[in-house]
Amino acid sequence: MTHLVQAIALGLLIGGVYALMASGLTLIFGVMRIINIAQGAFLILVAMLTWWLWHETGIDPILLSVVTTPLMFGFGWVAYRLLLSRIRGSSASMSVLLTFGFALVIEGVLNITAGNKFKSATPSYFEESFRVGAISLPKAQVFGFLAAMAVLAALYFVLTRTWTGRAIRAATQNPSGAALVGVGATGTAALAFAIGSATTGVGGSILSVLYPFFPASHYDWISRLLGIVVLGGMGSLPGALVGAGILGLAETLTATYGSLNWSTLVFYIVIMVVLLIRPQGLFGAKLREDTV
Amino acid sequence: MSRLRALPRAHLIAGLCLVALLLYPVVNPWQPYPQGVMLLAFLLAIQASSWNIVSGYAGYISLGHSMFLGLGSYTVGVLAVRFGVNPLWVAPLGGVTAVIIAVLIGSVVLRTRGHAFVIITIAMLLAAQIFAVNLKGITQGSDGITLELPFWDRDFQNIPFYYVYLILLVLTVLFSAWIRRTKFGTGLVAIREDEGKAASIGVNTTRFKIVAYAASSFFIGMAGGVYAYYLTFINPVGSFAILGSVTIVLATLTGGRGTLYGPVIGAFIVQVVSEAATVYGGGSQSRVLLFGLALMVVVLFLPKGLLPTIEAWWRRRHPEKVEYTDQAGALNRAPATTTERVRAELAAVNAEDAIAPGEILLDVRGVSKRFGGLTAVDNAGLTVRKGTITALIGPNGSGKTTLFNLISGGMAADSGEIWFDGRRIDGMRPWRRGHLGLGRTYQVTRLFKEMTVQENVVAPLPDSRWRTMFSDAVGGHEAARARELLDIVGLGRFANQPAGALSYGQQKLVELAQVLMLEPKLILLDEPAGGVNPSLLGQLTEVIRELNRSGVTFLIVEHNIPLVLDLCDPVVVFSHGAPIAEGPPERIRTDPLVLDAYLGDDWRPAEDGTADEGAGESDRAETATREAVQ
Repeated sequence: MTHLVQAIALGLLIGGVYALMASGLTLIFGVMRIINIAQGAFLILVAMLTWWLWHETGIDPILLSVVTTPLMFGFGWVAYRLLLSRIRGSSASMSVLLTFGFALVIEGVLNITAGNKFKSATPSYFEESFRVGAISLPKAQVFGFLAAMAVLAALYFVLTRTWTGRAIRAATQNPSGAALVGVGATGTAALAFAIGSATTGVGGSILSVLYPFFPASHYDWISRLLGIVVLGGMGSLPGALVGAGILGLAETLTATYGSLNWSTLVFYIVIMVVLLIRPQGLFGAKLREDTV
Repeated sequence: MSRLRALPRAHLIAGLCLVALLLYPVVNPWQPYPQGVMLLAFLLAIQASSWNIVSGYAGYISLGHSMFLGLGSYTVGVLAVRFGVNPLWVAPLGGVTAVIIAVLIGSVVLRTRGHAFVIITIAMLLAAQIFAVNLKGITQGSDGITLELPFWDRDFQNIPFYYVYLILLVLTVLFSAWIRRTKFGTGLVAIREDEGKAASIGVNTTRFKIVAYAASSFFIGMAGGVYAYYLTFINPVGSFAILGSVTIVLATLTGGRGTLYGPVIGAFIVQVVSEAATVYGGGSQSRVLLFGLALMVVVLFLPKGLLPTIEAWWRRRHPEKVEYTDQAGALNRAPATTTERVRAELAAVNAEDAIAPGEILLDVRGVSKRFGGLTAVDNAGLTVRKGTITALIGPNGSGKTTLFNLISGGMAADSGEIWFDGRRIDGMRPWRRGHLGLGRTYQVTRLFKEMTVQENVVAPLPDSRWRTMFSDAVGGHEAARARELLDIVGLGRFANQPAGALSYGQQKLVELAQVLMLEPKLILLDEPAGGVNPSLLGQLTEVIRELNRSGVTFLIVEHNIPLVLDLCDPVVVFSHGAPIAEGPPERIRTDPLVLDAYLGDDWRPAEDGTADEGAGESDRAETATREAVQ
């Protein structure tokens, strides 16, 4: 019983972090119909940067997201303006290929600059845990979860309570309508891409503490995040949250009761089962496909 | 295929290259290194050509295609070690495994449109790797499998592999060429261009996509089996490498996605460049960076790929002469015998029906469709009797086109039933409705713009038989029939032009010919007169009348009221999502309800005669057309 509660608690903590990481991806897809395959590489890039800064200065890695988040915001903005805006209007598959290429470039650069070795940031609380009754929650997991929730709440606030957020949501729902009321598509898209990238600032910093990583880890991460987004329904923020929770739970439960080796696979099996029953994902609305 | 006809030398050049490659080991037998590079280029070309079937023709990008290479390798490796058979004998089983897995994944992911496929392909590649690591009993886990050394004398080096791969490559290219020639191939391109439209002309998009995915996996799986023997050692990380997928994508993109020879050319370029980079550019560490950069450069600056770019340049240098567009005279050009034959065919299709003329062919019962708060179609009922030309008129936004979409299956109704030809169709997928003899055109034409006019007309499938799916689309009966139909609408001369080059009115006619290919019993025409010039319009109505005489029933949405009153009987008037009046044209034009809701005062029988009636109406028709086009 304790095992089960422990596993569920850990699963939810991990799910929260996954939710943050997937939120950027789903936001970018929602606004631009771009599947940013480079999102995983962004995460590893940030993790690497965080690790280096922590290693050099000793500042807490999760706190360092204060630095990495604005950096990634700018990075995303520039990446959109320089690369993705060039292929606006061409088919969606081109953006997949472009961001895939971008991911490889980031991986290649990291390979050369940081080396092809596993790294992990280990702050002082790394091996400590909070004890709640019989269960113990690793401090790093808890801090990561809290940071993720704080950022998600901020993101939610921005999207629902500010003009910028409303503009982004308007552009998600009806680009031409948004343009009519003065929401410029390119500017909004760049902004959404920048915000989506900025979420990896926090996500990557958390990652550097919770998981060992090396340049090629981004494949694991992107397929995990894409899985969450497909599960939740592409473009849906609540979907990403719920999908991340489900997959976090599925993963920890398998690791607890089955074997660690299979936990990643369970992830993919859950996705396939959901797609079999509900092809549009849990929260994905079937869009009005006008045949006019 | 039109591309090949445009450049008839392509096959010749390909043949010469093949002869040179066949002779190369004989001429220069003691050079293992270049042979090794060539051999790997063949392997990449096999993969790229195969990938091209699903991601080039059908446009569904797979980023995990190297999974099939690994599946083939493991199938063959496991069988060879277990049962002591020579890997070359069981290599085809590698292809079989690949096809089985592709069908399984495809039937889950390819049922819907859109982006889930690309995502799942990456995930499945990584999942396959996890399987290979963890199923230790079968795969020996991370330790990998060591196979026996090739049975031939060391003096032969890798020359046998060279020929095996060359033969596999030739087979793959022939297979790809054959697919592109069939209606299956045309359907795949149709899916890439406009999936919803493809479904409406009888293309079973789900089946087509799954078959394409499976077809794109077979030769890779088989090549993977041979690859295991060539390497004599396989392990999970090497066999299911994502970088392998990257090279496949890069090769096809570089050469030209969707072309026959592009993937092969691209594979040779990528293999040679990558080899050079490994030798001169600091080893395989930099390969990821190099491939990533190359992929970005190709997407940004050479999105169509080398072959199509060169071809476009060639066409600009040597433009083809296009004949003068003689629309008015066009319709009279069809040889009388052709017209007669097609009419007889259509008459036969419609005569074998259980439903007699005058009985109800289409029955819409209490159908509703809501978009959020807006009820576009509200508990509407509509019957179309066999043999009639029924009109559906009404103000913009009254739900006419939505009703069309519900009938043709582009959208699902929220409630109500739709019956066609004695069968309930509202739960059927669009292509099933097409196979039953329900065809439609669109308010704004939806031709497949990158196909030729003839390919557009060949694309529809009148039934769901596999034989029809794999029938020849370039020569033979289907193509001849498409030519006949084009002659009937007077556009035979444009058969080999890209559909996007035609004028709007001509595109409407091509769309009608496309529907005729379905051997339809009922044709839904959505504003056939919109954007069509007056002289062509007269001919269009003549074609509709003639087809109707052959037994084809029509349901027409149209704002050109004089045309409707002239051509159609009965006329149904729609307003606010439901019919408000129905009857012969004479009664409709005087019905006070209709005058209030739609026709307006210009049509009210007035004391000052009917002189300005036409003028007022043509204004309105024009406005409607403009709105429709927007």
